[in-house]
Amino acid sequence: MFGKHVKRDLSAYAHGELSAEGAERVAAHLGGCAACRAEFEEVKTGIRLVESLPQTKAPDALWEAVEAGLAKEAWRGERSSGRLVRRPLPRLALSWRRAAAFASVLLLAGAGWFYYRSTRPAWEVARIDAAGVGERGSLRVGDWLETDTDERARVEVANIGQVEVGPNTRLRLVETRLTEHRLELRRGTLSARIYAPPRLFFVDTPSAVAADLGCAYTLEVDDAGRGLLHVTSGWVALEAAGRESVVPAGAACLTKPGAGPGTPFFVDAPDELLSALSRLDFEAGGPEALEAALASARPRDTLTLWHLLSRVGEPERARVYERLAAISPPPEGITREQILSLDRDALVAWKDDLEGAWTTESLPGLRRTLRKLLQ
Amino acid sequence: MEQVVAMVETGKAEAVIEACKLGDRDAFRLLFERHKDRVYSVALYFFGGDEALAGDVTQQVFLKLFTRISQYQGEAEFTTWLYRLTTNACIDEQRKRRRFLQFGDGDDEGGGAGEIFEHRSMDEALARGELSRSVGQAVATLKPKLRVVMLLKYFEELSYEEIASVLGCSKGTVASRLNRGHKILARKLGHLRGPSVRASER
Repeated sequence: MFGKHVKRDLSAYAHGELSAEGAERVAAHLGGCAACRAEFEEVKTGIRLVESLPQTKAPDALWEAVEAGLAKEAWRGERSSGRLVRRPLPRLALSWRRAAAFASVLLLAGAGWFYYRSTRPAWEVARIDAAGVGERGSLRVGDWLETDTDERARVEVANIGQVEVGPNTRLRLVETRLTEHRLELRRGTLSARIYAPPRLFFVDTPSAVAADLGCAYTLEVDDAGRGLLHVTSGWVALEAAGRESVVPAGAACLTKPGAGPGTPFFVDAPDELLSALSRLDFEAGGPEALEAALASARPRDTLTLWHLLSRVGEPERARVYERLAAISPPPEGITREQILSLDRDALVAWKDDLEGAWTTESLPGLRRTLRKLLQ
Repeated sequence: MEQVVAMVETGKAEAVIEACKLGDRDAFRLLFERHKDRVYSVALYFFGGDEALAGDVTQQVFLKLFTRISQYQGEAEFTTWLYRLTTNACIDEQRKRRRFLQFGDGDDEGGGAGEIFEHRSMDEALARGELSRSVGQAVATLKPKLRVVMLLKYFEELSYEEIASVLGCSKGTVASRLNRGHKILARKLGHLRGPSVRASER
């Protein structure tokens, strides 16, 4: 639990109305509080519902009614004293030439308004080379951004955070609107720091989608489309091929095309665990790989074990359950049968219970570990 | 006419307003065209799809705007004033008709109103499917104070500060009313959620 509940601030948070500090506080709290997260899902549902209401057009006849009303007022005004600006209203001349000119004025005004409504905001981009900040520009929906070997860039993500783009990177802005901001990272590295509601900012990679849950993280994609996500604060969810991995601060997760996200692990986990996971996730490793993983898991690695529950078959699942329960028994009311049958509510309840041990800031020396893994 | 064209090109709202103060009917028309859809949308959804009533209220709003325009000295944003007129007109009309309305009458959770959105010009909305119709109905059952805040946020796209300034209340009040409104809608209509943004379903 991170401090006080934030239920009162959830709409303001969703609308970007909190200060940066306020938004960070809410994001951090949401990462650790299931009750507020549930309430936040409700608020977001409400927002999406009311946003779906279409603008309607006022009926054409309305102006005549207003004009008639105006004429009546003018007449009344001239007859009484001091009620209106006492100037006679100029009569609308009825020559068709004037009417045509007026029509084109209306067209201009109308078109201007329509353009304003359909223009998407652009994200500001600042390119940075060895000499410092260089060219500034805009990234609009559909635009690609590419950096060279000696170039980086900083992108302002609407009004909800920043993305640092590394060298040799290729990315595209897919969507930006109130309930969804989405980038596609084709290749390279980006680091994101987002002060925003969960599931508002997404990054598509060739092998999985990273859904921001209020956090800071680094995402790398190599030329083969394999990805590495490392979270430095908050949470990120990785999704693809029907699999989901939820990755907290200090943890990382590999993704491979076709296979989707692997099992998340803490970056300081033992090598034996990491290599066993690699076999399990991407090489169809069997019971022997699983035993190696279970044996090398430390108490903190319940993050990994919990994810494994839904990724292994039935006989293996019982082994994972035993190991996990030995470290941290399921909470009151959650049974072994529920977990083994992958009852969603039971799984989530156990995860909420385990989360307390997962949240911490990232540790030094991780770059080396991560480099090893991508080989 | 050239004067009005020039106003459009430079986009100076002040020039249009000044012309309105001088009684320039073309300038009135311009202001009307620019804002009529938004005022109408707010009124329409406020009154649960009643086109006739929405048209009446919209007409009242613009009449008031034009007849009082001499009093507008530019101390507040023009649009703040327009929205204030709109919300006051809606709430006043609501009070007058209190005995005739079957819904949204003082409680947060009004009863499920019948088929309110039955009119031809809502065809567009209906074509979007069941969702918009139900949402419109649900919005119309909210207490007027909640309703008004929701409509200002989503049709006029105002910030919390702007809404607070229109309604003469605090930002905190705006935030808490929006919160209540969102949750009530979610609870009433959660099962009718629109397209999900979950990536795994794309």
